[in-house]
Amino acid sequence: MNRFEHQWQKLIVLARQAPAAPAELPFGFATRVAAQAAGLPAAPWRSLERFALRGLLVAAACSMAAVAFNYSVLAADQADIYATGTADTVVELLDIS
Amino acid sequence: MADESFDLVGCLERVRQRDQVAARQLVEHLHPLVSRIVRSHLPRRVAEEDLAQDIFLKMFTRLEQYQGNVPFPHWVSRIAVTTCIDQLRAQKRRPEFRWADLSENEAEVLDNVLTDERDVTPGDALAARELVHKLLDQLKPDDRLVIQLLDLEQKTIAEISALTGWNQTLVKVRAFRARRKLQKLFRELQSKEKS
Repeated sequence: MNRFEHQWQKLIVLARQAPAAPAELPFGFATRVAAQAAGLPAAPWRSLERFALRGLLVAAACSMAAVAFNYSVLAADQADIYATGTADTVVELLDIS
Repeated sequence: MADESFDLVGCLERVRQRDQVAARQLVEHLHPLVSRIVRSHLPRRVAEEDLAQDIFLKMFTRLEQYQGNVPFPHWVSRIAVTTCIDQLRAQKRRPEFRWADLSENEAEVLDNVLTDERDVTPGDALAARELVHKLLDQLKPDDRLVIQLLDLEQKTIAEISALTGWNQTLVKVRAFRARRKLQKLFRELQSKEKS
Protein backbone atom coordinates (compact mmCIF):
# COMPACT_ATOMS: atom_id res chain seq x y z
CA MET A 1 0.00 0.00 0.00
CA ASN A 2 1.52 3.33 -0.99
CA ARG A 3 1.62 6.39 1.23
CA PHE A 4 -1.52 7.98 -0.22
CA GLU A 5 -3.53 4.75 0.13
CA HIS A 6 -2.45 4.48 3.75
CA GLN A 7 -3.47 8.10 4.47
CA TRP A 8 -6.75 7.80 2.61
CA GLN A 9 -7.69 4.53 4.30
CA LYS A 10 -6.89 6.02 7.70
CA LEU A 11 -9.15 8.98 7.01
CA ILE A 12 -11.97 6.95 5.48
CA VAL A 13 -12.01 4.38 8.31
CA LEU A 14 -12.33 7.22 10.80
CA ALA A 15 -15.07 8.91 8.71
CA ARG A 16 -17.08 5.69 8.63
CA GLN A 17 -17.16 5.68 12.43
CA ALA A 18 -19.09 8.97 12.53
CA PRO A 19 -22.61 8.34 13.85
CA ALA A 20 -25.40 8.88 11.34
CA ALA A 21 -27.88 11.58 12.27
CA PRO A 22 -31.43 10.19 12.73
CA ALA A 23 -33.58 10.58 9.64
CA GLU A 24 -36.64 12.31 11.03
CA LEU A 25 -39.60 12.78 8.74
CA PRO A 26 -40.33 16.53 8.51
CA PHE A 27 -43.81 17.45 9.77
CA GLY A 28 -46.42 17.12 7.00
CA PHE A 29 -43.83 15.95 4.47
CA ALA A 30 -45.57 12.70 3.49
CA THR A 31 -48.98 14.40 3.17
CA ARG A 32 -47.53 17.22 1.07
CA VAL A 33 -45.70 14.83 -1.27
CA ALA A 34 -48.75 12.55 -1.62
CA ALA A 35 -50.95 15.56 -2.47
CA GLN A 36 -48.45 16.79 -5.08
CA ALA A 37 -48.18 13.29 -6.55
CA ALA A 38 -51.98 13.15 -6.92
CA GLY A 39 -51.87 16.35 -8.98
CA LEU A 40 -49.13 15.13 -11.29
CA PRO A 41 -49.98 14.66 -14.96
CA ALA A 42 -49.63 11.20 -16.45
CA ALA A 43 -46.09 10.20 -17.36
CA PRO A 44 -45.06 11.52 -20.82
CA TRP A 45 -44.37 8.03 -22.17
CA ARG A 46 -47.98 7.07 -21.49
CA SER A 47 -49.25 10.01 -23.58
CA LEU A 48 -46.81 9.05 -26.33
CA GLU A 49 -48.00 5.48 -26.15
CA ARG A 50 -51.62 6.62 -26.50
CA PHE A 51 -50.75 8.85 -29.49
CA ALA A 52 -48.72 6.07 -31.10
CA LEU A 53 -51.63 3.63 -30.80
CA ARG A 54 -54.04 6.14 -32.30
CA GLY A 55 -51.54 6.82 -35.10
CA LEU A 56 -51.29 3.11 -35.83
CA LEU A 57 -55.07 2.73 -36.05
CA VAL A 58 -55.43 5.77 -38.34
CA ALA A 59 -52.58 4.55 -40.56
CA ALA A 60 -54.16 1.07 -40.83
CA ALA A 61 -57.55 2.58 -41.71
CA CYS A 62 -55.96 4.85 -44.37
CA SER A 63 -54.09 1.90 -45.91
CA MET A 64 -57.24 -0.20 -46.14
CA ALA A 65 -59.22 2.68 -47.61
CA ALA A 66 -56.48 3.33 -50.20
CA VAL A 67 -56.41 -0.34 -51.25
CA ALA A 68 -60.20 -0.51 -51.44
CA PHE A 69 -60.44 2.75 -53.42
CA ASN A 70 -57.78 1.72 -55.96
CA TYR A 71 -58.66 -1.96 -56.14
CA SER A 72 -60.03 -1.77 -59.69
CA VAL A 73 -56.87 0.02 -60.96
CA LEU A 74 -54.56 -2.49 -59.26
CA ALA A 75 -56.57 -5.42 -60.58
CA ALA A 76 -56.52 -3.98 -64.13
CA ASP A 77 -52.71 -3.53 -64.00
CA GLN A 78 -52.28 -7.17 -63.05
CA ALA A 79 -54.58 -8.22 -65.89
CA ASP A 80 -52.50 -6.13 -68.37
CA ILE A 81 -49.29 -7.83 -67.26
CA TYR A 82 -50.72 -11.28 -67.81
CA ALA A 83 -52.22 -10.19 -71.10
CA THR A 84 -48.71 -9.49 -72.56
CA GLY A 85 -47.94 -13.18 -72.30
CA THR A 86 -45.00 -12.76 -69.95
CA ALA A 87 -44.76 -11.52 -66.44
CA ASP A 88 -41.00 -11.20 -66.59
CA THR A 89 -40.09 -7.64 -67.54
CA VAL A 90 -36.36 -8.43 -67.85
CA VAL A 91 -36.98 -11.25 -70.29
CA GLU A 92 -39.27 -9.01 -72.24
CA LEU A 93 -36.79 -6.15 -72.46
CA LEU A 94 -33.85 -8.36 -73.45
CA ASP A 95 -36.07 -10.27 -75.89
CA ILE A 96 -34.52 -13.63 -75.00
CA SER A 97 -37.68 -15.65 -74.66
CA MET B 1 -36.41 -0.06 6.66
CA ALA B 2 -38.15 0.71 9.92
CA ASP B 3 -41.31 -1.38 9.58
CA GLU B 4 -40.69 -4.94 8.39
CA SER B 5 -44.40 -5.83 8.50
CA PHE B 6 -45.29 -3.12 5.99
CA ASP B 7 -47.39 -4.52 3.12
CA LEU B 8 -45.45 -2.98 0.25
CA VAL B 9 -47.18 -4.89 -2.54
CA GLY B 10 -50.65 -3.97 -1.28
CA CYS B 11 -49.61 -0.39 -0.73
CA LEU B 12 -48.22 -0.10 -4.29
CA GLU B 13 -51.44 -1.51 -5.67
CA ARG B 14 -53.47 1.12 -3.81
CA VAL B 15 -51.09 3.89 -4.89
CA ARG B 16 -51.63 2.84 -8.50
CA GLN B 17 -55.35 3.30 -7.91
CA ARG B 18 -54.61 6.91 -6.82
CA ASP B 19 -55.14 6.24 -3.10
CA GLN B 20 -53.59 9.24 -1.31
CA VAL B 21 -53.47 7.54 2.09
CA ALA B 22 -51.43 4.71 0.58
CA ALA B 23 -49.17 7.26 -1.14
CA ARG B 24 -48.55 8.93 2.23
CA GLN B 25 -47.79 5.58 3.86
CA LEU B 26 -45.37 4.72 1.08
CA VAL B 27 -43.50 8.00 1.57
CA GLU B 28 -43.34 7.42 5.33
CA HIS B 29 -42.07 3.88 4.77
CA LEU B 30 -39.36 4.83 2.28
CA HIS B 31 -38.26 8.10 3.88
CA PRO B 32 -35.40 6.63 5.99
CA LEU B 33 -33.91 4.99 2.89
CA VAL B 34 -34.24 8.08 0.69
CA SER B 35 -33.02 10.36 3.46
CA ARG B 36 -29.88 8.26 3.97
CA ILE B 37 -29.03 8.39 0.26
CA VAL B 38 -29.73 12.11 0.05
CA ARG B 39 -27.50 12.85 3.03
CA SER B 40 -24.65 10.81 1.59
CA HIS B 41 -24.74 12.50 -1.79
CA LEU B 42 -26.26 15.87 -0.98
CA PRO B 43 -24.95 18.56 -3.30
CA ARG B 44 -23.98 21.86 -1.75
CA ARG B 45 -26.72 24.47 -1.36
CA VAL B 46 -29.51 21.98 -2.01
CA ALA B 47 -31.91 21.42 0.88
CA GLU B 48 -32.25 17.81 1.94
CA GLU B 49 -36.04 18.06 2.10
CA ASP B 50 -36.33 19.53 -1.41
CA LEU B 51 -34.18 16.80 -2.88
CA ALA B 52 -36.09 14.06 -1.05
CA GLN B 53 -39.34 15.55 -2.36
CA ASP B 54 -38.03 15.52 -5.95
CA ILE B 55 -37.07 11.87 -5.56
CA PHE B 56 -40.50 10.87 -4.26
CA LEU B 57 -42.29 12.78 -7.02
CA LYS B 58 -40.12 11.04 -9.63
CA MET B 59 -40.96 7.74 -7.98
CA PHE B 60 -44.71 8.40 -8.25
CA THR B 61 -44.42 9.62 -11.85
CA ARG B 62 -42.54 6.48 -12.92
CA LEU B 63 -44.47 4.00 -10.80
CA GLU B 64 -46.19 2.51 -13.86
CA GLN B 65 -42.75 1.58 -15.21
CA TYR B 66 -41.88 -0.53 -12.16
CA GLN B 67 -42.26 -4.16 -13.21
CA GLY B 68 -41.02 -5.92 -10.09
CA ASN B 69 -37.76 -7.20 -11.61
CA VAL B 70 -35.85 -5.82 -8.62
CA PRO B 71 -37.08 -5.19 -5.05
CA PHE B 72 -38.95 -1.90 -4.86
CA PRO B 73 -36.50 -0.25 -2.40
CA HIS B 74 -33.64 -0.98 -4.84
CA TRP B 75 -35.62 0.64 -7.63
CA VAL B 76 -36.25 3.71 -5.46
CA SER B 77 -32.56 3.80 -4.43
CA ARG B 78 -31.60 4.00 -8.06
CA ILE B 79 -33.96 6.93 -8.64
CA ALA B 80 -32.51 8.62 -5.54
CA VAL B 81 -28.90 8.14 -6.64
CA THR B 82 -29.51 9.35 -10.19
CA THR B 83 -31.44 12.39 -8.92
CA CYS B 84 -28.56 13.29 -6.59
CA ILE B 85 -26.03 12.90 -9.36
CA ASP B 86 -28.11 15.07 -11.70
CA GLN B 87 -28.07 17.77 -9.02
CA LEU B 88 -24.31 17.39 -8.57
CA ARG B 89 -23.75 17.67 -12.32
CA ALA B 90 -25.82 20.84 -12.37
CA GLN B 91 -23.31 22.40 -9.98
CA LYS B 92 -20.45 22.77 -12.42
CA ARG B 93 -18.18 24.95 -10.29
CA ARG B 94 -16.47 23.21 -7.43
CA PRO B 95 -15.06 25.37 -4.64
CA GLU B 96 -11.29 25.30 -4.25
CA PHE B 97 -10.09 23.25 -1.33
CA ARG B 98 -8.22 25.47 1.15
CA TRP B 99 -6.81 24.88 4.59
CA ALA B 100 -8.36 28.19 5.68
CA ASP B 101 -11.87 26.85 5.08
CA LEU B 102 -11.42 23.90 7.40
CA SER B 103 -12.65 23.94 10.97
CA GLU B 104 -10.10 23.51 13.74
CA ASN B 105 -11.01 19.83 14.17
CA GLU B 106 -10.95 19.13 10.43
CA ALA B 107 -7.53 20.77 10.06
CA GLU B 108 -6.24 18.75 12.99
CA VAL B 109 -7.52 15.47 11.54
CA LEU B 110 -6.04 16.28 8.14
CA ASP B 111 -2.73 17.19 9.73
CA ASN B 112 -2.67 13.90 11.64
CA VAL B 113 -3.50 11.91 8.55
CA LEU B 114 -0.91 13.64 6.38
CA THR B 115 1.96 13.73 8.83
CA ASP B 116 1.24 10.40 10.48
CA GLU B 117 2.58 11.85 13.72
CA ARG B 118 -0.36 11.01 15.97
CA ASP B 119 -3.01 8.33 15.71
CA VAL B 120 -6.48 9.68 15.04
CA THR B 121 -9.08 8.99 17.71
CA PRO B 122 -12.74 7.97 17.35
CA GLY B 123 -13.61 11.40 18.71
CA ASP B 124 -12.36 12.83 15.42
CA ALA B 125 -14.89 10.82 13.39
CA LEU B 126 -17.35 13.65 12.73
CA ALA B 127 -14.60 16.01 11.65
CA ALA B 128 -13.15 13.25 9.47
CA ARG B 129 -16.51 12.72 7.76
CA GLU B 130 -16.86 16.44 7.05
CA LEU B 131 -13.33 16.51 5.75
CA VAL B 132 -13.94 13.55 3.45
CA HIS B 133 -17.04 15.26 2.05
CA LYS B 134 -15.04 18.43 1.39
CA LEU B 135 -12.37 16.39 -0.39
CA LEU B 136 -14.98 14.52 -2.42
CA ASP B 137 -16.50 17.84 -3.45
CA GLN B 138 -13.32 18.39 -5.47
CA LEU B 139 -14.08 15.42 -7.70
CA LYS B 140 -16.29 15.18 -10.75
CA PRO B 141 -19.83 14.17 -9.69
CA ASP B 142 -19.64 10.68 -11.21
CA ASP B 143 -16.22 9.99 -9.68
CA ARG B 144 -17.39 11.37 -6.35
CA LEU B 145 -20.35 9.03 -6.33
CA VAL B 146 -18.18 5.99 -7.02
CA ILE B 147 -15.72 6.78 -4.20
CA GLN B 148 -18.58 7.58 -1.83
CA LEU B 149 -20.22 4.23 -2.50
CA LEU B 150 -17.01 2.23 -2.67
CA ASP B 151 -15.05 3.62 0.28
CA LEU B 152 -17.56 5.22 2.61
CA GLU B 153 -20.51 2.88 2.11
CA GLN B 154 -18.30 -0.14 1.33
CA LYS B 155 -20.38 -1.33 -1.59
CA THR B 156 -18.95 -3.75 -4.13
CA ILE B 157 -18.28 -2.85 -7.77
CA ALA B 158 -21.24 -5.05 -8.76
CA GLU B 159 -23.55 -3.26 -6.32
CA ILE B 160 -22.44 0.16 -7.59
CA SER B 161 -22.99 -1.02 -11.14
CA ALA B 162 -26.52 -2.13 -10.30
CA LEU B 163 -27.28 1.08 -8.43
CA THR B 164 -25.98 3.49 -11.07
CA GLY B 165 -26.58 1.53 -14.27
CA TRP B 166 -22.90 1.96 -15.26
CA ASN B 167 -21.00 -1.15 -16.33
CA GLN B 168 -18.36 -2.53 -13.96
CA THR B 169 -15.41 -1.43 -16.10
CA LEU B 170 -16.69 2.14 -16.07
CA VAL B 171 -17.08 2.02 -12.29
CA LYS B 172 -13.46 0.81 -11.95
CA VAL B 173 -12.20 3.52 -14.31
CA ARG B 174 -14.05 6.19 -12.35
CA ALA B 175 -12.68 4.86 -9.04
CA PHE B 176 -9.16 4.89 -10.45
CA ARG B 177 -9.56 8.43 -11.79
CA ALA B 178 -11.00 9.64 -8.48
CA ARG B 179 -8.15 8.12 -6.45
CA ARG B 180 -5.57 9.72 -8.72
CA LYS B 181 -7.22 13.11 -8.26
CA LEU B 182 -7.36 12.62 -4.48
CA GLN B 183 -3.71 11.61 -4.45
CA LYS B 184 -2.83 14.81 -6.31
CA LEU B 185 -4.88 16.78 -3.82
CA PHE B 186 -3.09 15.15 -0.89
CA ARG B 187 0.31 15.96 -2.46
CA GLU B 188 -0.71 19.60 -2.90
CA LEU B 189 -1.92 19.80 0.68
CA GLN B 190 1.31 18.29 1.98
CA SER B 191 3.43 20.74 0.01
CA LYS B 192 1.30 23.65 1.25
CA GLU B 193 1.63 22.40 4.78
CA LYS B 194 5.40 22.17 4.53
CA SER B 195 5.77 25.65 3.04
